[in-house]
Amino acid sequence: MLVLSRKAGETIWIGEDVEIVISEVKGEQVKIGIRAPRSIDVIRGELREDVSNSNTEAVLKNLDIFKQK
Amino acid sequence: MKLKTAYLGEIEVAESSIVNFEHGIPGFEQEKFFALLPVEDNEVFNVLQSTHTESLAFIITNPYTISNNYTFELDEATVHTLQINEEKEVAVFAIVSLKETIATSTINLKAPIVLNTTNKKAKQVILNNEEHDIRHLISTESIKG
Repeated sequence: MLVLSRKAGETIWIGEDVEIVISEVKGEQVKIGIRAPRSIDVIRGELREDVSNSNTEAVLKNLDIFKQK
Repeated sequence: MKLKTAYLGEIEVAESSIVNFEHGIPGFEQEKFFALLPVEDNEVFNVLQSTHTESLAFIITNPYTISNNYTFELDEATVHTLQINEEKEVAVFAIVSLKETIATSTINLKAPIVLNTTNKKAKQVILNNEEHDIRHLISTESIKG
């Protein structure tokens, strides 16, 4: 993983299309602005992690539930 | 084509039932192709069976039958990725986590599966709002309704 040190107001470009702006640093919290084409999803990591966990839980283990009639 | 499935054994499936998740789904990023199959004697649910991994299958359903006021806006990234041209070619499903009974099972309304029925491109969309739950309880009533 590439690790960069940045200050508030500084930016990082990813490829030609995506710009990350460090807009504010306050204690443990960093405010980040993201300029990206609308064709790119911007999703918070913990939300993606939740969905990933939910998908793992949802893997079909048996279909018996449909036979209890 | 012949397909080995987790719960239906080896079955014959039509090419038209295969949907393509270009980037897989969260947690299963390597799984790009799934077959959309019926559940025997049940019209409410479908099975989404990986064509690559025999043991990988999900139960999915139409979220609009579970939650009467389910709505979300299709973001441009999804419209672009799935090459959606018109609303009528869009189908929406949600993944079900089966528990002991259907009433105690949950459905993921936060991350619906959006399918372009024309080109069979699909994507699990993660909604960026607080309205919908990842683990929404399926009540018996909503199934009947």
